[in-house]
Amino acid sequence: MELVLLILFAAGGGIISARQDQGPSQNGALHDPRIGSGETILPRLEPACSLLPAGGTCLEFDNGELQLLHVQDNVYMIGGAGANITVQIGDAAVMVVDTGVAEMSDKVITAIRTLTDKPILFIISTSMDDDHTGGNANLSQAGWALPNSSSNPIAEGQDIPDKTGLTLPAGAPILAHINVLNRMSAPTGQKAPVSQNRWPTDTYETESWRLYNGEGVYIYHIPAAHTDGDSIVFFRRSDVVSTGDLFTALGSYPVIDQKKGGSIDGFVDGLNQIIEILEPKENEEAGTYVIPGHGHICDRNDVVNYRDMVTIIRARIEAMVKDGMTLEQVKAAKPTLDYDGLYGATTGPWTTDMFIEAVYRDLSQSKNHQRRAAGTGGGE
Amino acid sequence: MNRGIFGQRRAWKITAFLLSLALGVVSIARSEGGRRQAGGAAPATGEQSALIDLTGYWASIIDEDWRWRMITPAKGDYASLPLNPEGVKEADKWDPAKDQATGNQCRAYGAGNIMRMPEELHVTWANDNTLRMDTDAGMQTRLFHFDGSKWQGGPPQWQGDSVALWEKQFDIRGAGRTRSGGPQSRKGGSLTVVTKHMRAGYLRKNGVPYSANAVLTEYYDRYDLDGQAYLIVTSVLEDPQYLRERFITSGQFRREPDASNWSPAPCRPLWPRPPAGLPEPELGLGGNLF
Amino acid sequence: MLRIYRVRVVALLALLALVTLPVFGQADLAGGWIAKPHEDLPERGQGPEIGDYTGMPINDAARMKADAWDSQRWEMIEHECTEHPADYGPRGPANMRVWADMDPFTKGIRTWHMELMYMLPLRSFYMDGRPHPSKYAPHTWQGFSTAEWEGDKLKVTTTHLKEGWIRRNGLPRSEVATLVEFYIRHHDVLTVVTHVKDPIYLTEPFIRTSSWVADAALDVNFNLYPNYCIPSVEVPHPKGYVAYHLPGKNPWLGEFASRWGIPTEAARGGAETMYAPYQRKLATMPAPPPLPVKVQQ
Repeated sequence: MELVLLILFAAGGGIISARQDQGPSQNGALHDPRIGSGETILPRLEPACSLLPAGGTCLEFDNGELQLLHVQDNVYMIGGAGANITVQIGDAAVMVVDTGVAEMSDKVITAIRTLTDKPILFIISTSMDDDHTGGNANLSQAGWALPNSSSNPIAEGQDIPDKTGLTLPAGAPILAHINVLNRMSAPTGQKAPVSQNRWPTDTYETESWRLYNGEGVYIYHIPAAHTDGDSIVFFRRSDVVSTGDLFTALGSYPVIDQKKGGSIDGFVDGLNQIIEILEPKENEEAGTYVIPGHGHICDRNDVVNYRDMVTIIRARIEAMVKDGMTLEQVKAAKPTLDYDGLYGATTGPWTTDMFIEAVYRDLSQSKNHQRRAAGTGGGE
Repeated sequence: MNRGIFGQRRAWKITAFLLSLALGVVSIARSEGGRRQAGGAAPATGEQSALIDLTGYWASIIDEDWRWRMITPAKGDYASLPLNPEGVKEADKWDPAKDQATGNQCRAYGAGNIMRMPEELHVTWANDNTLRMDTDAGMQTRLFHFDGSKWQGGPPQWQGDSVALWEKQFDIRGAGRTRSGGPQSRKGGSLTVVTKHMRAGYLRKNGVPYSANAVLTEYYDRYDLDGQAYLIVTSVLEDPQYLRERFITSGQFRREPDASNWSPAPCRPLWPRPPAGLPEPELGLGGNLF
Repeated sequence: MLRIYRVRVVALLALLALVTLPVFGQADLAGGWIAKPHEDLPERGQGPEIGDYTGMPINDAARMKADAWDSQRWEMIEHECTEHPADYGPRGPANMRVWADMDPFTKGIRTWHMELMYMLPLRSFYMDGRPHPSKYAPHTWQGFSTAEWEGDKLKVTTTHLKEGWIRRNGLPRSEVATLVEFYIRHHDVLTVVTHVKDPIYLTEPFIRTSSWVADAALDVNFNLYPNYCIPSVEVPHPKGYVAYHLPGKNPWLGEFASRWGIPTEAARGGAETMYAPYQRKLATMPAPPPLPVKVQQ
């Protein structure tokens, strides 16, 4: 049966259903079969799954609500577990970008385990949002702590579990920009907004951070966009970029969290920064793939259209602010009408009105209403 | 003579049987719609042979060539048309007032252009072998005869003489082809109408001509999607006198639930009004794009 | 005797097979096709005029998007090499080549392929019943197409299209739209019906038909030559430049109506403008303002 399934994937098609009874063990980690746990596991999908074209579905749960898809080369995406999750398989380890919501993390771990038995060694959080970091604790627990280097409290005090040295203690490090840690934690004595087992364990402060996991992995900081702690991740050889909520394919206008340092100008600049590292294969299609915070796998053309939308709406609201219009007058003018069908919402955590308000406030507070020459256009 | 299974007499019987089978398949495959006929019965009528149902009311959908169809275009606006120099010269003579005065106000409502008009169609069976199509634009009537031409000489009419037949793809059998990528057996089909002996008319309301020798071939197809029926009319007009190649257009109609939009009006050469603007300096003529 | 019997049976079976072979002259879509743009040639060739929304079943969102559109968009290096999406491709330049992949055993057609002459977009219509991809799969210019015969029309359903347009003056077609096409062949004439359903920008389906004739003579105009677009800076712009017009600031929106004497309201389009009763409304509308003098010269 397993051989038949592998053959089906090698043929380039097909979706199989996960055997739901093969869930993780109680503490969230699956045992490596090499140490004789006795558990029966699903076949590893990695070699066959990697043959699928971009967007090919390797696995789905819950009637397609949660899907594991191949993106390009070593990079895969899990959709339907909150924010999109990026899974990159290196020579010996797995890197995960964002972890979705907590309640889906068991299924996320199962999906990763059906893909590969390599250990999760890196978790990167593109922001502090719950739908991006909710699974941090579980996935960290399911991964391995780097020996002698991790400050992950999950790994504290743990011995190496077996004498063969083939496994390491649980507690994969969680990487993010320092502002994510600052906002998730609190000074001693105060209650932190987020539980400690989700906090980043390793942070960076500069414009970027370079790692290696079978290929160069570049983490770029995008300042003052969605928040002041946003990161995007570029997998250099696989040619895939994970953007977090800097970019979403349909369903939401840019979420500008001003309380956490987000801004409309930062959003536009950040999108332009992302576009700089994307290269289409031909005719503005394929090439560098983009895993957005939410929605389908994209390419440069999709990010450009999104950037165009944000730039145009900003220009419209800016012109209205210059004309002295109130917020209510701006809303009544419907500056987003031509995009509402794709990105707007009247209910939920981020509505069209909230987006207009955020942009309006941002532009009204700015002392300089002249847009910088770079980054804007128009045939006004 | 051997009388076993491989004997001569039995062999000839088998031969005769297979030959009959082959000939029977040929005749069935080539019959219109593949319908079986009772021994000795009259040939199926046009209505009996109908492959698709075209009856009812249909509204034209004008989302192509809008400014040449919804309004009367300016004189000299021949964009998209494969006119030859003779055709241009004739079109340049357009005089709508003269057309009105000489009883030629319906020149643009002849068979060569009537299907391009914004209009409602009302399609019914006039008799077993005649499909009737009325248009509210210009109050024209077209008759499609399934029992051959009705032309008997004399002055031609605006709608000419139309011969119709139902056509479908060759009935495919064998080799599993219908399961594996060929057209469906015994389904679909279209109406083909060939119209000749038309009175000389206009391909476009601003005087672009077609001659009395023009031949119009039309294909009527129907498709249904999301509970709505649509009619597609592909028209091929051949007129070497005025055209340098076949003039091929395709129009779309939507089935109407009733006659509520039916609004008969006489032929009106200059309605709605022609524009007062300047003609486009680079109109050019139609034909092969590249 | 046995040999004679077998010879006769084989010969008759061969005759039987011959008369049951399909007549591909009707059903076969394969071969070269010459586009015949005998409708809307100015729009399909040099391009539609700015502000011409006549005969389009658009809503206010589509109007706003089109009003903001500026042709300098094609100077933006990220948009230079955009190819025509699947639903617009037939509008030209659209000489076309169609071929099929056959199953080597059953001889059934697995996939139809087509390629158009402008930027050589390649489309594949899968006949094997495979499902459309996941909602997370990337969108492409040509989308993902499955096909089936409906009678003697080839019905093609396409999803996963990138954001495109229904007219090249900014009238949009969103990426959530679906496209249904019918390929209908009559002798040497091919008609392709494109039926676009777009809940974002259209109030009802947009149906357009295009025509081709078979390229039996391998006409010299039939030329699918290799095409590779390399974006380059044609007009320098600052980084992040986006071409657009602010609401109410597009100076060219009214020229189309004025040039052709079409009432301004009619030029704004809408489903109503597609149907015959609209002519009665047209007859009562005021004429548009005249063209500015400097445009007339």
